[in-house]
This record gives sequence, structure tokens and C-alpha cells, in this order.
Amino acid sequence: MSRFREFLQNNLVILDGGMGTLLQTRGLKPGEAPERWGLGHRDVIRAIHKAYFDAGSHVVMANTFGANPVRYDGTTLETMVLTAVSDAQAARDESDAPQEKFVALDLGPTGQLLKPFGPLDFEDAVSAFAQVVRLGVRAGVDCAVIETMNDSQETRAALLAVKENSDLPVLVCNAYGSDAKLMSGASPEVMTAILEGLGADAIGVNCSYGPETMAPVVERYLACASVPVICKPNAGLPSVADGKTVYDVDAVSFAASMRTLCEKGVRVLGGCCGTTPEYIRALVRAAADLAPQSLQPKRRTVIASRSRALVLGDRPVMIGERINPTGKKRFQKALAEGDMGYILAEGIAQEERGAEALDVNVGAPGIDEAAMLPRVTDELQAVTDLPLQLDSTSPAALEAALRLYNGKAMINSVNGSEASMDAVFPLMKKYGGVAVGLTLDERGIPSTAEERLAIAERIIGRAAEYGIGPESLVFDPLTMTVSADGRAARVTLDALHLIRERTGCRTVLGVSNVSFGLPAREVIGSAFLTMALERGLSAAIMNPKSDAMRGAFLSFLALNGMDEHCARYIAHAASLPAMQPAAAAGAPASPAQTASGKGLRYAVLKGLCAEASRTASSELDAGRDPLALVQEEIIPALNEVGEGFEVKTLFLPQLMMSAEAAEAAFREIKARAAADPAMQRCPIVLATVKGDVHDIGKNIVRLILENYGYRVTDLGRDVPPEAVLDAVVRLHAPICGLSALMTTTVPAMEETIALIHREAPWCRVMVGGAVLTEAYAAQIGADAYARDAMAAVRCAEALEAGT
Amino acid sequence: MNALREAVLPPAPVRREEALRYAMQPRAYDGGPIPALEDCVRMAEGKVPCRAVWRLFPVIRKGDGLDLGFAVTGSRKLQTHLAGCDRIVLFALTAGMEMERLILRAKALSPLHGLMMNAVGAAIAEEACDRLCGRLAAAFPEDTLRDRFSPGYGDLPLSLQKDIFTALSCEKRLGLTLTGSLLMQPGKSVTAIVGLSPRKEDHREPLP
Repeated sequence: MSRFREFLQNNLVILDGGMGTLLQTRGLKPGEAPERWGLGHRDVIRAIHKAYFDAGSHVVMANTFGANPVRYDGTTLETMVLTAVSDAQAARDESDAPQEKFVALDLGPTGQLLKPFGPLDFEDAVSAFAQVVRLGVRAGVDCAVIETMNDSQETRAALLAVKENSDLPVLVCNAYGSDAKLMSGASPEVMTAILEGLGADAIGVNCSYGPETMAPVVERYLACASVPVICKPNAGLPSVADGKTVYDVDAVSFAASMRTLCEKGVRVLGGCCGTTPEYIRALVRAAADLAPQSLQPKRRTVIASRSRALVLGDRPVMIGERINPTGKKRFQKALAEGDMGYILAEGIAQEERGAEALDVNVGAPGIDEAAMLPRVTDELQAVTDLPLQLDSTSPAALEAALRLYNGKAMINSVNGSEASMDAVFPLMKKYGGVAVGLTLDERGIPSTAEERLAIAERIIGRAAEYGIGPESLVFDPLTMTVSADGRAARVTLDALHLIRERTGCRTVLGVSNVSFGLPAREVIGSAFLTMALERGLSAAIMNPKSDAMRGAFLSFLALNGMDEHCARYIAHAASLPAMQPAAAAGAPASPAQTASGKGLRYAVLKGLCAEASRTASSELDAGRDPLALVQEEIIPALNEVGEGFEVKTLFLPQLMMSAEAAEAAFREIKARAAADPAMQRCPIVLATVKGDVHDIGKNIVRLILENYGYRVTDLGRDVPPEAVLDAVVRLHAPICGLSALMTTTVPAMEETIALIHREAPWCRVMVGGAVLTEAYAAQIGADAYARDAMAAVRCAEALEAGT
Repeated sequence: MNALREAVLPPAPVRREEALRYAMQPRAYDGGPIPALEDCVRMAEGKVPCRAVWRLFPVIRKGDGLDLGFAVTGSRKLQTHLAGCDRIVLFALTAGMEMERLILRAKALSPLHGLMMNAVGAAIAEEACDRLCGRLAAAFPEDTLRDRFSPGYGDLPLSLQKDIFTALSCEKRLGLTLTGSLLMQPGKSVTAIVGLSPRKEDHREPLP
């Protein structure tokens, strides 16, 4: 074990204090980078480090906070890190202070937001930090400190980089806002779940505010963390007096507040902005008679999204099962086409129906799970707050998704077979997570409760060999179909109870399977759910969109005093269809709802989706020719709206509402006609160019083009030139539309146009986006420029006529 | 005098008409509630607090330009706008990553929802700016506050964003970053200068 890791286990650890604020008193200009300034002022840096060691710091952080390859080229970075570490080491050697002394590599934020909210790719962030870590190792640091991170995903990237490129002990500090959350939404409980899962040696807070203000956040860490907790706050808030920055908490009160936190259990203490060697000296003195509080393993079974920690405890939780293509044609089609919108909407719908976590399964014939599971995971985690349960039999898919998952996932699943445990446990050890343990093994599913318990116990034993505690396992005693075996449900429930009693582990069941092959599945399914909950089920994987299943679940909570004021039950009841007609009848009808009977053309003109869909359907039922419906109703309406938009009597929202209404009508028509009678125009490939994530305009263009009969393949945003070309070639598309919002991404657009013109000379490229003009578009080689969505239609029509 | 101050603006009702304007619907829509807008308001209302930092600086005329205390600028429009002011409040405000997530979520529902949520986000940030300025007016009862003026208005260059980020510690305090094009991320963010004039004024300089 490294000397520092051992020291951390047995001692209070004193870190250093502020660096940047001290440098400003020695000539560093506001906005100037300390790590660059330090290269020219090595004596100053060394003197500050030495002053901290002299004051009693065990750990001094090298001047590498902002040193990373996102900001500096390789040579500069190398010099910077090696110099900074050697200066800290020299200071250590020069200091006569008697305490143990260590030098840390300091890792701060890259200064760029990660995708999907910024330009930085997760793996690029990992490799950026990895470069710095390898330099730190070469320079001989004793540990790494990741600090002032306000995004959980960037924190993860840094921590993974340390773990994958060194065996350095690593301390992780995050910067919290006054709402006790990171900027990215994570709470102390979320960060604890994530960071302990990834194997951080100590976790906590730095920067932000003074110690008193940070105390509530620190106490939440102490309540849920099993590793040592760090507190490294500012000397309060800064102000400028006589041209000098001053902070409002002095050394003595700083030390007194820190002592209180230490008594509550904080084991790693230091200071951030505004603190000086004087503060550290006062802190050392104040804590001199304190011994470290012993570490208590918390044994919480917890999963987390980037913003929400979910404890699997006494109150059962509802896990949505709907993101799963098994038996769902529409879902399989969405997967095959990479139609993320459909999958995301399914996730959002379950969240709105009360799901507390989402199972994510993308296993279907012809789907590369190792590519698809991380993609869906990444897209889903951007739009939902719910923790995810990654559901796959492919270890490669699980690893790829776990790596990207900005949280602590539930892993579905491991089982008692050696092969499964050998594959899944190393992933859990590396990325964290709570695994669903299926009580089956190489020999299949045992027929008795006792045998299923025995498998659970074997899984617990093997997990322990990997250092994974039983709190990270949740057992699934396997729901079998009761229509095939009358005893099946009984055995499952007995096994559930037995495992709960004997191992103390939490349990999970996919409940829907019980009713397979029976009529009125929800009737028997909801009864089974209630029975399982009564026997101690911790998590039900179920369909939150089923009123009966949701009703059984929420009734159980209300009847067990687990739903305060029956609030969730009441909200559920209000959404039941039985409650709807009365409410609807009582509500005053808006103009939009009184349009019935005015025909499809009117519905499309006014942008009434439900009306358009209903009218189209009844017209078709009455024998109206689908083609006539398109040509006599929908197209004229769309043309009228489009013209109105062009002369500015109608505006963008109205144009889009009409487009959506037309789309709803088209869906009805397509659902009935064997052949698609809508006018079929040429394929168009659409994309927002590489580096650009602004796609609202592009999405609008897609909707309108589809309305006009173009077969649009939308590649999404941040699309590399090669991917655009691939699609153009594959579809032999005569038209490609590109969008860019930022000046910095116009070169990527130019590059994409050149590539298409060279490799797919049949294809004409039209472009649009906020920074473009007609002239600019011509200058970068585009064949046409479209100012807005209607202009894009006109443009496509002209290009189509020309080819 | 110029301590860095923080403010949290709790969620407030969404101004639908303002949101519609940002969605390029410049005048009243008479077709009843727009379902996509109502969905977005339901998803966002009450969920998005805005956070701000602000700092008071003296403003001094310096030759052809203005010394704003954190940067010097030659912007004529700003000079006109700040005529008679001896101090400014510089502020940055953001609806944060939560708003960005809501926009992504809405985009997953439909292009129209994406457009509407983007507009709702802009309306939320603007409304919070108004409230922040209301608080500033209360904090400086002796002064008259001018309308806010942001980099990119008139001839005030976007490059001033870099100085503003340093002066207000935007990265650390608000989690904001600047892209290579000097756009702020998260996107629903505002930086602005508010002039303080030590006189009671009825008439205000209109914005360029």
C-alpha cells in the first residue's frame, strides 16, 4: 500500500491553503494563469509551498490546477507539470517541519463543458486528464487531488484517468453552489455514490464558500460516505478594499469552524481561496488534540443519476420496463433506424407516470449492443433525471455504457454462473454500480426457494472476493409464468422472502412475466405485484404506463404509510381515464377544441393535431381516396400556411403546428394504405455539422421538409463530415442540408461540403444557420442557401428540379 | 466597495407572451393555447432557479474611452448610454444546466417543443434579469438605474465577455464557460452592465 494511502487511513490529514489568491498578492494579474506564471516565478511558488509545509500541511498541491492539454500544447504541458511538481518537492525537502509530508498532483476543470452541453467529448476529457496524470506519475507525486469540479461527468473523467493511468491514491473535491448542488445538478449523496463506486480514496468539498456555509453539505457527506471526508473551503467571500482582495472569515474563526467539522467526522482538512499559511497554522493548532473519527461503512444500496440518488431501502421503488424492444415492432424499427426520439419519448413518458428508475435494454436482432447501449444511455441521461438500469447480457455493451454513465447504474444482470460473475464483477469493481443477481446458474433455474437462496449466497461470496459488498447486490428470484406451472409464483415469492431474510440483501422482480399466456394480464399481474411487495420486494420492474400495475404499486405504498398524505396515490387517481370525462366536460372549450366538423384542411391550417388525425381517420373510413385527401386537403393547407409564413402573416410556431397536424394526418393515411400514397419526393440527408450542437433550427427544417414529401434522413448534431458522406452515398441522396450556428463550426461545414462535392458529385448541398448569409454560403462552396424552413423547401424544390 | 455578490432568483411564473416572441411569434396569437407551449411551461415552471453574480465598479471617462473598472472600452454606444453615470453594476446571470436539460428533453418530444422550450428558457432568464435589476434598484435607492447593456449590443464587442468572466469569476461561481465563438454555455445566460446615475431621472436613454 502506498505510504500516503496508509497515512490517510490512520490520521487526520492537513492539506494546504489558497494558491491563486496568494499569487495575486505577488504580482499575478487577474485572468492570468497561475500554472503559466509559475514557470517564470519558481522561487515564489517554492516559497509558498514551503510556507504551507512549515505551517503544518501534510499535503501540498503542485501548481498544476489549470495545466491540461485542453489549454496547453504537449511540450508546454510537460514542462509545466514536471516543473510544478519538482518545485513542490523541493519545498518539501527544504522544510524542517516535523510532520509527514506529501506532494499531490492538482487536477482542476478543463474549462470546457462536456457534451451534450458543451464541445468536449467524454473520452477526450479522460485522455486529457490521463496525459497530466502520466506526467505526474513520472514526476513522482504521492497522490492526486481532483478539485473545484462543478460537473459530475468531468469529475468522473478525471477520476477514471487517475485510476487507469496510475495507482495513486486520489482525493476528490467538488465545488457546491448555495443550493448544495453542483452546477450539473449533483447532490452530496449523488457524488458519494458515484465517487465511491469509482474507487476514490477520500471525497468532499472545496472552494465555494466559507466553512460555516459549507457545513451542511459536509454533514451530508458524513452521513452517507464510507471513505474519509474532505473539507477545503474558502475564507468566506471576497471583496476588494484599497485595491486588495480580502475575505470575510479570518484565520481564527476559520480554524474554529474547521475544528467543529473535524469533531463531526471530517478527516481531511485544508483551505481554498483566500486562505494562507496563517490559516493552516491556526487550523493545525485548533485540531492538535483531535484524533480522526473511525470510518463507518454505511452499507447503503444506492444507485444514482447525475442529479438523483435512489436508495433501495424499505420503501419499494418502481423501475420502468418499457425501454426494451422484445415483442415491440415499433421499438425494433426505431433501434434499427437509430431513431432516438422515439426511445427518449418512451423514457420521458415513464418518468411522467411515476417511474423512479428506467431499465434500458436494446438487445434485438441486427443491433450492435456494444454501440447502441452507450448511445441510448448517453441520450437518455441528458433528458431524464431517473437513474438507469443497464440491461444487457453483453459485457462489452455494459462496459461501454457504464463508462459513459454519469451516475451509478443498476446493472441487469449477473447470475450464479462462473462466466457471468467473471465478466460482471470486474466491471462493477471499476465503475461502481449495483448488480441485479439472477438466482440461476449453468444448470438453469432451480425449482425450489432454498436452491435459489443457495445461488444468491454463492454470488455474494464471489462478489466479496472482488471486494464488492452485499449492499451492491440486489437479488431477482425470477418470476416464472404461472400459466405454465401453478406453483411457479409461490416458489418465486418464497425465494424472495428467504433471500430477504437470510442475506439481508434487497430484491427485485420483473413482475410482468407472471401473467404471460393468460387473459386480462394486468388483473393477475397487479395481484402478484401486491403479494411480492408484501413479501418484501424492494424494486419492481414493471410497466408504469399500466394503470392497473401502477395502481397496485401506489396503493401498496399508501396502505403502508410510505406515501405522505397519499399524495402519489391521489396524483395517480387523477390521471385515470375514469376521472377524465367529467373534468373535460366541465372545462370551457378553447377555440382550438371547437373546430370539429370543419374538415382536414381547416385542422391543418389551424395546427390542430388531434383534430387532423381524427378527421383524416373518419374521412378514410367513409371511403375517401387517400391520394385525394393528400392533394385536396393537406397540400393546399400546407401551401397556404407556407405562403402566409413567407409574407409574414403567419409565424414560425403556426407553421410548425400546421406541419405537426399534417404529420398526424399523414400517419393515419400511412397506417391504412398498403403503399404510401403521399407524394414521394427525393431523399435528403440533414445534419448539424461537426462541433456544433445547436439543432433547433435543423429540426424545424426536417419537420417541414417531411411535410412536403421529402424522405429525410436526419443524422442529428455534431456529425463528422465522413458520416454525412456515408449517408449521402448509401441513399444516393441528390440533396444534403447542413446547419451551423457558430462561426467556429463554419469551417467544419466547408470541409463537409468539399468532401461531398468530391466523393458524391451528384449531391447538391444547401446550408443554413444563424451565422450564414447568401454570400458566406457561396464562399464556402454551398450550392444553395436557405434563410429559414420554408426557404429550405423552395431550395429543395429548385435543386430537385435542377438534378 | 466592490465585493463580489451572489444572488439566487427563485423560479417565477413563465411569461408566455415573451416566450412566444422568442419563438418568433411577434404578435398575439389568437388560436387559443398552443399545446406545445403549454407542455413546456408545465415542464419548466417552478423548476428553474436562476443564479447571478454581480459587482459594483466605478466608471471613469478616459480620453476617447471608458474605464469600467474591470476593462477599458472604446464603445461609443455604451458611452452615450452611461452618460451621467459614475458607477456600474456588472452582472452575469444563468438559468444553468437544468434549463439546457429541459431543452434537450423538449427536443426529444418534437421540433416544436424544442423551439418552445428554447424560448421559455430565454423568457425565464430575461425575467430573472428584470428581478435582479429590481433588487439592484432597491439596493441603490439614491441612484437611477439605466437599462442593462450587454456585450454584442451596438458597438460593444463580444470580446468583452472574457474580461467579464474574469471580473465575476463566472466559471467558478456560475459554472459558465465561453466557447471559441464567445458564446456562453449553458446557453440561457446573460452578462450585462447597468449604469448607476446619482440623480433621479425620469427619462432614460433608449437602447440602440
